[in-house]
Amino acid sequence: MKKNKIIFAIIGILLLSSCEDFLDVKPSNSADSATSILTVDDAKVAMSGIMRNMTSYNYYGRNFLIYADAKGGDFAIASAGRGLDGLYQFNHSQTSGSYSGYWDHLYQCILQVNNLLENIEKIEAAGNGTNQLLEYKGQALTARALIYFDLVRLYGKPYNMDKTSLGVPLELKVVDAAAQPTRATVEAVYNQVVADLVAGAPLMSKSIQKGYINYYANMAIQARVYLHMDNFTAALAAAETIINDGVYSLYDNDKWYDSWSNEFGSESIFEIAMNENEGDLGGSSLGYYLLPLGHITGASGWFMASDYYLDRLNEDPTDVRWSVMAEDETSTDVEPRFGSCMKYVGGHDMKGDKGKASATNVKVIRLSEIYLIAAEAALRLPSPNKIKAKDYLNEIRKRAPALEPATEATITLEMIIDEKSKELFTEGNRYWDMMRLGWQIELNDDFIQPAISIPHRDKIIDRTFYKTILPIAQDEIDANPAIGEQQNPGY
Amino acid sequence: MKKSILLVLVLLLGNMAMAQVKVTGTVTSSEDGSPIPYATILVKGVRGMGAATDLDGKFTIERVSPDAVLIFSYIGFITQEIPVNSRAIINVSLEPDLTRLDEVMVVAYGTSTKGTFTGAASVVNQKSIEDVPSVSFEQALTGKVAGMQITTQSGQAGTTSSIRVRGIGSMNASNEPLYVIDGVPVQSGNAGQMSDYIYTTSNAMASINPSDIASITVLKDAAASALYGSRAANGVILISTKKGKQGKPTVKFKASVGITPDWAYNNWDPASTDENIEMYYEMFVNAGLYYEGRTQEVSSQRALAQLNKRFNQHGYSFTAPDHTANSLTVGGERAGSYYDWEDALFRTAVYQTYDLAVSGATETTNYYTSIAYTNESGRIKTNEFDRITGRVNLTQKIGKIVEFTTNINIANSNKEGFNDTRNLGGNPFLQTRNLLWGMYWPTHYDTGEPYTNRYGSYAYNPVFYDNEWDNYSKTLRLSASEAITVKILPELHLKSVLSYDNSNVRDHLYYSPTHYNGSSRNGRVVEMNTQTTKLVSSTTLNFNKTFAEKHKVGVLLGWEAEENKTDYVRAEGSDLPTTALHTVNTAGVLDANAYYWGNTMVSALSRAEYNYDDRYYVSASFRRDASSRLAPVTREGNFWSVAGSWRIDKEDFMSNVDFISSLRLRASYGVNGTLPTSNYGWRSLTTYRDKYMELPGGTIATVADENLSWETNYTSNLALEFGLMDQRITGTIEVFNRDSKDLLQYVPISRVTGFYSTLKNVGEINNKGIEIELFGDIIKNRDLTWSAGITASHISSTVTELYGGQNIIWYEPTGGDSRTRFIYKEGESTLAIYGLEWAGVERETGKNLWFLNNEETPDLMVDGRPATYNHNNADEKILGDVHPTLFGGINTNLEWKSLSVALSFTYKIGGYTYDAASRDCADDGYYWERTMSKEQYKHRWTPENKDARLPQRVAIDMTDVLQRSSRHMHPGDYIRLKNINIGYNIPKRLTQLVSISNARVYFAGMNLWTWAKHDTYDPEVNSYGSKGFEVPIGKTYTFGIELSF
Repeated sequence: MKKNKIIFAIIGILLLSSCEDFLDVKPSNSADSATSILTVDDAKVAMSGIMRNMTSYNYYGRNFLIYADAKGGDFAIASAGRGLDGLYQFNHSQTSGSYSGYWDHLYQCILQVNNLLENIEKIEAAGNGTNQLLEYKGQALTARALIYFDLVRLYGKPYNMDKTSLGVPLELKVVDAAAQPTRATVEAVYNQVVADLVAGAPLMSKSIQKGYINYYANMAIQARVYLHMDNFTAALAAAETIINDGVYSLYDNDKWYDSWSNEFGSESIFEIAMNENEGDLGGSSLGYYLLPLGHITGASGWFMASDYYLDRLNEDPTDVRWSVMAEDETSTDVEPRFGSCMKYVGGHDMKGDKGKASATNVKVIRLSEIYLIAAEAALRLPSPNKIKAKDYLNEIRKRAPALEPATEATITLEMIIDEKSKELFTEGNRYWDMMRLGWQIELNDDFIQPAISIPHRDKIIDRTFYKTILPIAQDEIDANPAIGEQQNPGY
Repeated sequence: MKKSILLVLVLLLGNMAMAQVKVTGTVTSSEDGSPIPYATILVKGVRGMGAATDLDGKFTIERVSPDAVLIFSYIGFITQEIPVNSRAIINVSLEPDLTRLDEVMVVAYGTSTKGTFTGAASVVNQKSIEDVPSVSFEQALTGKVAGMQITTQSGQAGTTSSIRVRGIGSMNASNEPLYVIDGVPVQSGNAGQMSDYIYTTSNAMASINPSDIASITVLKDAAASALYGSRAANGVILISTKKGKQGKPTVKFKASVGITPDWAYNNWDPASTDENIEMYYEMFVNAGLYYEGRTQEVSSQRALAQLNKRFNQHGYSFTAPDHTANSLTVGGERAGSYYDWEDALFRTAVYQTYDLAVSGATETTNYYTSIAYTNESGRIKTNEFDRITGRVNLTQKIGKIVEFTTNINIANSNKEGFNDTRNLGGNPFLQTRNLLWGMYWPTHYDTGEPYTNRYGSYAYNPVFYDNEWDNYSKTLRLSASEAITVKILPELHLKSVLSYDNSNVRDHLYYSPTHYNGSSRNGRVVEMNTQTTKLVSSTTLNFNKTFAEKHKVGVLLGWEAEENKTDYVRAEGSDLPTTALHTVNTAGVLDANAYYWGNTMVSALSRAEYNYDDRYYVSASFRRDASSRLAPVTREGNFWSVAGSWRIDKEDFMSNVDFISSLRLRASYGVNGTLPTSNYGWRSLTTYRDKYMELPGGTIATVADENLSWETNYTSNLALEFGLMDQRITGTIEVFNRDSKDLLQYVPISRVTGFYSTLKNVGEINNKGIEIELFGDIIKNRDLTWSAGITASHISSTVTELYGGQNIIWYEPTGGDSRTRFIYKEGESTLAIYGLEWAGVERETGKNLWFLNNEETPDLMVDGRPATYNHNNADEKILGDVHPTLFGGINTNLEWKSLSVALSFTYKIGGYTYDAASRDCADDGYYWERTMSKEQYKHRWTPENKDARLPQRVAIDMTDVLQRSSRHMHPGDYIRLKNINIGYNIPKRLTQLVSISNARVYFAGMNLWTWAKHDTYDPEVNSYGSKGFEVPIGKTYTFGIELSF
């Protein structure tokens, strides 16, 4: 019976041991959301998370940039079906080809930003605010402005086309899981974007913050936003703040090519880091999407320059921007065609900017763009300042050494917009200019050989075509029926 | 103990009787000829006279009247009466009794007998399991248990099966039953991480050697399973492993070899290369002619240009002098021959298994040990599985009151697999059916070098690339359980079990720098180690006593604690220096991850049973569970059941009804629960995976409901069990109703919140059904027995309540390709296919037609209903139900002397299956560069074939085929000869010459014959009713020999 006593004793001990401890099993790889941002250091971790979220393939990691070049007429496709060609073909409906990844992911980023901002307020309210915390607050406000600016351009009509039409749901707090938000007007969204930018700018330092947002990134976004709002005075002021402060400098012609194999160059006002084992998308990276077919294993020749882009660039065969172009799949000895862009693999030796082709940073805003914004804003001021306009333009235009510099007499808006296309090819620019200006877009359908028919749009479109903005996806409408009433017209 | 008392009594009293002759003999089992020790022999009509057999099955009875009749009996065998007829030697072979009501069955926390158990349970005995040529036992259960559906996702060796007992009771939490081996809950399902990488699974149950299994009990209603509380809502599968038999030690050796030369059924068999060329040409001609307004000549030229563009580089060129397909001619250097990819990628699968088992028992010790090796080389050349298992079951009595039982099972398996879904590059099955043209060759026609570029549309050269990757999942599973039983009083037993179930899965994945999955990282190797430990401690106190002869009382009290923990370590290396070394050690860039997760549960349990005169039975159980998967407020759940049964046949008024030999009515009602699948579903969590610039990055990853609670099932069950004509026909008719409430559901939420969905207890599902099991001995005499059984189930599974009445549209999770769209809608099936209603093909144009199902202006009327040419104009609706009207099995056994033939069929009547492959391989012009199925060739619309079932093929990116629609939905009716087993016992007089006590040779076949209503793909679909590009199952022919020494 002695043995039995021992057994009973063991059972007794087990029974009496605390159940609550035994049952409190916490995850080992995540923390309780409610208490995960309590200090300035926590805010830093959250800010890093936000930046990383912006490197997603749904956003600045790839698709958001491809969107603007594929739809804007600067890209062509050689064959249908390789991937993302629905953007080029405008093959959109609310059930298929809705490209809802933009909507879903950008709102996921908004959640992170709103959560950080709410928690920063709590830390401040508890009297634990610091200058560093204000820095994160400024970064978060600026990030929110950028994300809403991008959302409203994807889903809403251009500001200067119909600002009273519907933009996107405008949420500034963490949204309750049960909420069914509806869309605010384009104007309301723009107003909030401006408010966030204006509130955020003074909180941030003016020193360079590699991989993060600083004061000048805020100013650069202001310049972009004001240009979209046709507020040329404010756009010029923001751009000139950056130019005049001199923290950033333009690449010389002989350094321009090398800038694509270096991180955080002198023009990078806002650059997001694509590190290996972080945002690096490997074989599905932006760099791979632009490589010539079969250039390396996995390169499927998704997108290349359109004939129109190449013609534009060929105004000067000695233009330094040819240096980053490679022969595409249609190139022959007789008729070479340099349609593939190597910006995101670190140039022709494909070492990226850190040694690996696909782990190449994305330069979200460069100083070159700011000069061109300044040029356009100066030209379109209520009383145009053509001197400034040509001066700013020529700083970039000189990258085509054989072209005559613009003069007060020769400068036109087309010259500036063409220069933007040449300079910012593959950087997610062209389409937004076309939308904002209401210009026609011609798509290079005849490049596809053998020819196919594209039933989803005409060869030439402009912003009156309903598919120039994306539909609200069926999945959102299923969960949020109220927004179903607010579908973009035509879908 | 009882038996030995009886024996003593028998012997004592026997000596006093008057007698004339002495009778000796041996009692053996008809099953395998082994001796039966302790069998009872009584002399009919002579009170207290008889004997019992010894360890060798031998008996002696002194002084028996020459005209006496002897009664031979042993538990679990049919009692025989044999007249002595003055013989001195009487050898008796007893038949095992598979239908008797006193058959012992394993139930929750103990055993019961079929006639007294108050819950709903089905038993599958070892005979049905042992010869089935499958690495895991689940395949052997198909069609044997009413109400149970078994599906397999893939024909890859070593993949998981999915079991549904009585329908679907949950939308989000698991629908898999609980597995209990020898009284201890164990790990089941998919082990390791490979499914996240290449969509292939490793079945944890494959670590059980089917030959070690003695019986399987499936617990179906609450009365049977409520004692397992929160894990039991989806039924419980109790597996008992073998024990030794008293008597001489038995050594059993079994060897079998099986081959699988072919698939079990049609599987989108590809059209020939010439047919594909014709379709390709036609598709572009049609585009030119009908959609681009070009002439026949120009259209033909453009089609030829497409062909030439794609295939000139492979050594083919195309001409069509009269601009039609009739004159389409293939030229070029390789003209006349095509590469046979089927032959390059598939082979005849070989399955072999070797079992050695030694078992025996004495009065105090009982042991069973085995070691087995199984090897399966799959149909696809890159798929291998092998396993070695060892088991020791040992029971030792110490003194009179203490008994120790130790069960140890070790299994080591290795699986090499491949990507098993619509992953375009990596799946050989998909490649041969959809991507690889016969005009693609593994080598360049001009240089002879291996072809390494993508051929087009994700076709890669597997002959080259299969050498550029490798992977395996090595599983080492160790289960040990130690039980002590203390017989404190004869009526009061204490049993305490501690079990440790540990599986260690090592996943390895390698891609060379040349492989398209490894090129961007200059080679990549991933090693993952997943160690899952389940610790269960369970202590029960069992009291059983009979009062005043007629009142039998049983009480069980218990306490249980369970801890589950998984430790995960991952090391990844990229930038590899050489293709010869596939190790992380050599890599230039390293990445690592390691963390753990788990859950715990503590429970108190109790059961009370009362039985009056073996006529009226009542029982009740109660269990309280507390789980870490729920917040402290909601963590505790109470689960209970009540049940009763009535042996009508024992009533006096039944004594005149001769043709009814047994009749019993039983009923039960109970409540059990299901836990959320997620360990931390009630916590809103911030994760730190979003590293940025080598700094940790935090992201809110979940939005949780802190009040998350149990899913609760309310189950009632009513059954009638009967036996007719002296149990020649036996059967059970059972009806059940299962209301599952507070179901966990990922409620889709506006994505403006930053999330797609949140988990809530919101839904309700009802499952109700009827189950019939019938068994009959058609012929039964000394040399010939023929028996047959049938199981049939009808289950209706309906969503009864949803969050705010709001429909939920969801996609089948299988394979990550969102292949089937379903809707949860109140009043509709739990597997209601939701999509567009295809109206077929317009006869004159070959265009797709769609029923509008809305108020839009129709383009035309089809069958009197508004229809459109443009699927964007049509609305979705519920198209059909996956659940069959009736399903089950038909089993028949024929035994003639030493020869036995057993057939088991499975069938399904009603319900739809969804074709997840035809959107690719019977496409009407979206994916141009792909090859098509024979079905597409035969049934596509052409001006010559206007009554075609499938539309005209036009190369204009038509998205009709991509819509989830009734076009891909087909009737699921089928019947299949699942298993056939032909066995022959070699006569003893031959085997004894070589000192073998028993020898049996057998043939076992699997899936040898199938009839299906829709004949394009295998009708054995997955648990969501779909079939995609997962490897199908094959026809297996197995030959085996079993020897006992």
